[in-house]
Amino acid sequence: MRRRLLTLGMAVLLAAPTLAACEVGEPTTSAGKKEITFLVFETPNLTPQYWDAAIKRVTDKHPDITVKKLVSPDQDRTTYAKQLLSSGQFPDVMIAVSPAGFAEGGNLYAWTTEELKDFQFPTNGAIKGKVYQLPANTQTIPVVYYNKALFAKAGITGEPKTYADLLSAAQKLKANGITPFVTAGVHDSIGPLWAGILATEVYAKNPNWMHDRRAGKVKFCDPEFKSGAAKLAELARQGYLDPKDVSRDYAAGQQAFLDGKGAMYAMGNWLAGEVDKPTTKLHVGQFAWPADDGKAVIPAFTGGGLLVSAKAKNLEAAKTFALGFQLDKGNLDNSAKADGLFPAIKGYSPPSDVGAAYKLGYDLYAQGVAANAVVPAFGFEAGDDGMLPGVTAKWDSSAVDLVTGKKTPDQVCAFLDAEWAKAAT
Amino acid sequence: MSASVSRRPVFGRRAWHFLSFGGPGTAVYVCFVLAPILISLGYSLTNYNPFRGETHFVGLDNYRVLLTDEEFLTSLKVTSILTAIVVIVPNVAGLAIAVLLDRQSWFFSSLRTVFFVPVVLSSVVVSVIWTRLLDNDGLINQTLRALGVDEPPGWLSDPDYALYSLGAILSWQMLGFCVVIYLAGLQHVPQELLEAASIDGAGPVRRFSRITWPLLAPALTINTVILLISAFKIFDHVQIITRGGPGTGTTATIAYNVLQTGFVANRQGFASAMAILMLVIIAVLSGVALKLLQRREVDL
Repeated sequence: MRRRLLTLGMAVLLAAPTLAACEVGEPTTSAGKKEITFLVFETPNLTPQYWDAAIKRVTDKHPDITVKKLVSPDQDRTTYAKQLLSSGQFPDVMIAVSPAGFAEGGNLYAWTTEELKDFQFPTNGAIKGKVYQLPANTQTIPVVYYNKALFAKAGITGEPKTYADLLSAAQKLKANGITPFVTAGVHDSIGPLWAGILATEVYAKNPNWMHDRRAGKVKFCDPEFKSGAAKLAELARQGYLDPKDVSRDYAAGQQAFLDGKGAMYAMGNWLAGEVDKPTTKLHVGQFAWPADDGKAVIPAFTGGGLLVSAKAKNLEAAKTFALGFQLDKGNLDNSAKADGLFPAIKGYSPPSDVGAAYKLGYDLYAQGVAANAVVPAFGFEAGDDGMLPGVTAKWDSSAVDLVTGKKTPDQVCAFLDAEWAKAAT
Repeated sequence: MSASVSRRPVFGRRAWHFLSFGGPGTAVYVCFVLAPILISLGYSLTNYNPFRGETHFVGLDNYRVLLTDEEFLTSLKVTSILTAIVVIVPNVAGLAIAVLLDRQSWFFSSLRTVFFVPVVLSSVVVSVIWTRLLDNDGLINQTLRALGVDEPPGWLSDPDYALYSLGAILSWQMLGFCVVIYLAGLQHVPQELLEAASIDGAGPVRRFSRITWPLLAPALTINTVILLISAFKIFDHVQIITRGGPGTGTTATIAYNVLQTGFVANRQGFASAMAILMLVIIAVLSGVALKLLQRREVDL
């Protein structure tokens, strides 16, 4: 009988996935055209239609190029690109993939000075002096978006200028039954909030902190970083953010803020794209994460653009497509409107019909530039400015550990130093 | 001499039969099972990192480090707890449901289908459904709030609950499998034995414990071994529902850890050692379980 049952068991196990099988499509190519693969990722702002239109704008100008769009299964496109590389399917062109590791392994094409001549910050994100990712746009990470109606309900009249003001506002919101901070926790969803704290605690004091960490001159257990970890843990301990919200992913976190489930949301300036949509009825204000002394600190990252595989079959076509995609005025305008990006292209100015939230964020950034207050966005840096491969993921999960109280700030700092040592071996 | 000549064609025919019937299957097995395992074994003895230039042979160093690596030991603990839940819960609940469904009518046939549906669903679909249900603002917590529970648990966000929530989801999905196997086992229990026991005055509990349960031993063996193997290598639900969190390693199984180590930290030699160790643990555990459970099987 056992044999029959075993046969039945195996049949059931084999049949189940077959019944649940996904559909697989065959790519079509046109004869005589140069085909390239392009890895993108989707978010509520960056929809399939957004990507298709952006690709079409370039292929219309270069009809000899056909593009096979690959979509990352989730927002972690860097890990997906590594899987594709390991299975011999590395895409020809990718967007917003961290170049760390790929570049050192000789997998990415290094852009020449001539090719980078149109970019405002042509050396940003360099790895050992070479630029592999087009430094296409600047993102401020985070901006604190706030729900004006909920602030008014809690009797908060002005935007917090110092960290003490922020805590006072949070206290008032909590006393009125309003969750002060909306959070999420899956992947890097809580990263922007912690990046805000670390901008004021770490980078404002030492803008070269990450370079110093790479050189072994500073550690996570040093007072600056530890203080940043303690501040995040304290926000949760005070009940200013709900630890239960860490099961939300990025999209759910954004929706929770837009649904009015909390008053403040520390997020990258790409949220402006969503806030400015005509369907969004929320009145949203924004301010930079405040420092203890109220001095302006604007955490920002310039990069995030396209990368090209050094081993692309049609390398010239891939390069042409990447530069065409990145410098196309229509694409730049759409990236500003849909994803709130500040294109870092010489001579570019955002279109006049961008939304109010975008304009406000852009002004905030411009004030930061004028005041020389721009610092790197912790956890979102790239290349030599960023953490060692694998450590950023530990930094993300450590933020959740601090919020849920699973680890103390001391334990988190020691853990990150240990993970850094592991990654360095 | 003549005998050896006459044997050759027979041997040749047998070899041809083996090649034509067994050859394709053997080739597929070698290419897609054996070769990858051997290649992984080779990588596990190196410090292979696809993003670094040189790869060195490090012998058993990766395995030595693994035995003291906090992250690996945590994932081993997580995997063991999940496996225990997934082996016990669907087995117990599956047996109870199978006994209740072991009747001939359209209603019970429909119920069998209902219980089997989760097995057919893709793990991605199941994960998405349960993520929505167990979210802090999901249907379950909304219902609990409506019933007056002010602070319902963070099923997926509280480190004290997340692992057990994941275990419950996996158990729910595997329940239908156990039900089908136990139902098949129940249909092989001879009615005359049960009737004879009944005439001799045995009640339902005694009939179950003395006749049905011993005769279900093969079904228990199959369910236990298959659940044990499935649970120990669980990855997809973790990737979609919790991503190993909340926080560091709370629900990170060994398979999840292999992917993170290999493709996020780029330490593919070390990740291969983890994968090989996982294979050995599964082989040993399922071998032991098979031997122990087979001892109590009864042949009619």
